[in-house]
Amino acid sequence: MSPIIEIKNVTKEFKVLNRREGLRGSLKDLFSRDYRTVRAVDNISMDIEQGEIVGYLGPNGAGKSTTIKMMTGVLEPTSGEILVGGNVPYQNRTKNAQEIGVVFGQRSQLWWALPLVESFRLLKDIYQISDADYDNMLALYQSLVDIEPLLHKPVRQMSLGQRTLSDILAAFLHDPKIVFLDEPTIGLDVSMKSKIRTLIHALNREKKTTVILTTHDMGDVDALCRRIVIIDKGKMLYDNDIEHLKGFFGSYRTLKIRVDGDLKTQADVIQNALRDFSVSADDEWISILVDEEKAKVIDVLGQLQRSFSLRDMQLEEISTEEVIKKIYEEGVQ
Amino acid sequence: MKRKGLGFYFRIYCKILAQDLKSKMSYRADFIISTIGMIFTNISGFISFWILFRSFPSINGWSYYEMLFLYGFSLVSLTPVQCFFDNNWSLRQYVYSGDFIKYCFRPINLFFYYQSEVFDIKGLGQLAFGIGTLAYSWAKIGLAFTPLMLLKMIVFLITASLIMIALQNAAAATCFWIQNSFYVLDLAFRFKDYAKYPITIFSPVFRFIFTFVMPIAFIAYYPSLVILRPDEVPLLSWLSPVFGVVFFLISYRIWMYGATKYSGTGS
Amino acid sequence: MKLKKYLTLTRAGIIESLQFRLATVVMVIGNILYLIVVYFLWKAIYASSGTDIVNGMTFSDTLIYLVLATALFNFMEMYTVWEIGRSIQSGKIVLDLLKPIEYRRYLFWSYSGSFITQFFFTFLPTFIIVAAVTHGAIHLGLNLLFFVISVVMAVSINYSIDFLVGTICLYTESIWGINIMKQVIVLLLSGATIPIAFFPEPLKTIVYYLPFQSIYNAPLSILLDGTPQPQTVLVTLGTQLLWCIVMMILSRLFWKISLRQITVNGG
Repeated sequence: MSPIIEIKNVTKEFKVLNRREGLRGSLKDLFSRDYRTVRAVDNISMDIEQGEIVGYLGPNGAGKSTTIKMMTGVLEPTSGEILVGGNVPYQNRTKNAQEIGVVFGQRSQLWWALPLVESFRLLKDIYQISDADYDNMLALYQSLVDIEPLLHKPVRQMSLGQRTLSDILAAFLHDPKIVFLDEPTIGLDVSMKSKIRTLIHALNREKKTTVILTTHDMGDVDALCRRIVIIDKGKMLYDNDIEHLKGFFGSYRTLKIRVDGDLKTQADVIQNALRDFSVSADDEWISILVDEEKAKVIDVLGQLQRSFSLRDMQLEEISTEEVIKKIYEEGVQ
Repeated sequence: MKRKGLGFYFRIYCKILAQDLKSKMSYRADFIISTIGMIFTNISGFISFWILFRSFPSINGWSYYEMLFLYGFSLVSLTPVQCFFDNNWSLRQYVYSGDFIKYCFRPINLFFYYQSEVFDIKGLGQLAFGIGTLAYSWAKIGLAFTPLMLLKMIVFLITASLIMIALQNAAAATCFWIQNSFYVLDLAFRFKDYAKYPITIFSPVFRFIFTFVMPIAFIAYYPSLVILRPDEVPLLSWLSPVFGVVFFLISYRIWMYGATKYSGTGS
Repeated sequence: MKLKKYLTLTRAGIIESLQFRLATVVMVIGNILYLIVVYFLWKAIYASSGTDIVNGMTFSDTLIYLVLATALFNFMEMYTVWEIGRSIQSGKIVLDLLKPIEYRRYLFWSYSGSFITQFFFTFLPTFIIVAAVTHGAIHLGLNLLFFVISVVMAVSINYSIDFLVGTICLYTESIWGINIMKQVIVLLLSGATIPIAFFPEPLKTIVYYLPFQSIYNAPLSILLDGTPQPQTVLVTLGTQLLWCIVMMILSRLFWKISLRQITVNGG
């Protein structure tokens, strides 16, 4: 079976106005303008199979949203080819729209003043969902989350979590082949996050829906994605299994210690002593990311014990969060 | 996928309309105040008209009641743009904030989906004023009232509406290219105030401009001549329905072209 | 320095308004168009009246009056009601209230940058063109000084009224309705669309007792009066000053009371 999404050498450029500064600059801008070209997406290629959940990661401004806009047919690539379910999305935007569902940031696509169920009914008509499919879908929703109390609540009265949940349900309603989720858990509390992750996972399993997920929350990635794609400054940095990614940093382990005194200041002292490794501190622990090719953790620990009185320690494998952070900072070797 | 014909769009529109009315009811105070505001606007329009023309039996060969007829005609022909295309006024905010993107993800016509979202019921008040004025001046001028006249009236009112709608669509669509399109839209909106005067008061140069460059004269003057002065109807009046349809289609194309060019803010 | 924080707002406003280059162009086109319509309409009215002077005004008097009224309108329209209404609805008002400047002043000075751009880009050119075209129909003497004083007070009265009406938005969500009512009343009763000299007698008397005529009619009649009598000028400016103070007190008071009520209710 051919992949559901095929992206070949896609590039997208924008023209951006250089604004001059200050009062004099504004006056100059009035009469002459100066544009520069920015390459938001730079020669990206990937294939995505039906039923995958792909984490699409990158720092802010990396070009994630631009890629998604191209896959949904809102933007036309400057060069390269995109096929979504066999369609060129930009040329067949409406046809493509029938096959996809989108939850874009915190922008609700539901009718603001209407109870959720009325939004669902309108979507049922717009997407021409049959009565049987619609009823099945609602039954499935009810079995996954308790939607009954949400259905009769106007969207504008919902909490952010309820609204996000509703938006996700609305995106899956017409049983699309692909759902794009742009930062679905942003700003939500821990329990809502986990509820939404469970829901996405279940819908992906039940309906074999392909899910493309952009997020800054590595909890989302750990809970949902087997494969991740990382992009930065428009260029693709990584596209493979999450396990494979950790393999790059297999020699890294995180040593967490607790010492007397203020952790932040102590962390600076330790950083000065261990110049090879990055040291950071939070409220409870000082974390040292140790590269075991350079020094064994046990030796580092010994070194520390000579200068500090350690009260507690912990050893962890490198977390996704740290891997991604290292990639953003240093790239993949 | 099933074909989406006119029937499909009509059904969807009715459903969205019903929902929109329901949600309007939940803001009752706003509805009442807006309606009063609309009535105020119309009354003030009439007072201005009356102050201006009360002391003159005719202006440039146009009698007081003929002028009033033009005025009423422009009011009625402005109703559809007010009722069905009012969401154009919010377009620039949606584009500016990036929220416009939510309209791009649905498998239906983008222009239709966007405009369907708002039905402005206030326009109906204006319609009532307009019909009243038309009937009153119709009687005062002593025009005949036959089914044929009524049919002509309806056809040419629709014509005039289409032109105003076209102007507004095109004006609203400018926000896809320039940031602050409010002024453009406001300008197009002010056209309606200029539309209610007979074009013969202008010098030939401006008569040409208001006919062919900025087709203000088609909003009330040319179409209403068919009813008002049936003996001296210029060719342009008979052609105005064609212009109406053509202008509307052009404006639709511009709007859609702008929307597909639209990239949304942010990366 | 105290003035400095206000001037910073002015400067930011100038920079912001300069960024919308096309908007400026469109606004100029709109005004020219409006002026053309006004010119021909009043020419037709004067032609059909058969006399050179209607209601004590010559054709060029009326023209200057209306042209400058439009220029003044562009200059004074600050969209205050919209601004306040939107800040309230979006909740931004809370941030504005936390600023170390009184809200009423903050809003005024944020807009003051546009005063300066508007003055140089629309008012001054319009004034010069009109003065040149009408060949000295505008008397250039002491009346210019009185005109400037009068405009300053007009701006203040206009702002007070806007702020007063904007405050109502604390009670209702209907910004559109509130704003349209204000606009319609101010434009008609201030003499911005039709010179008050043309109003029928009883209406004229009523209008003179209202604050609105101090916004447009007062400065413009001072400007057009080639041979000003100290007494008439004094009365006009005195009336303006009175309204200036009254409206300022009223708008401040209403804001204070409303705000207290809102904060108490936690709305």
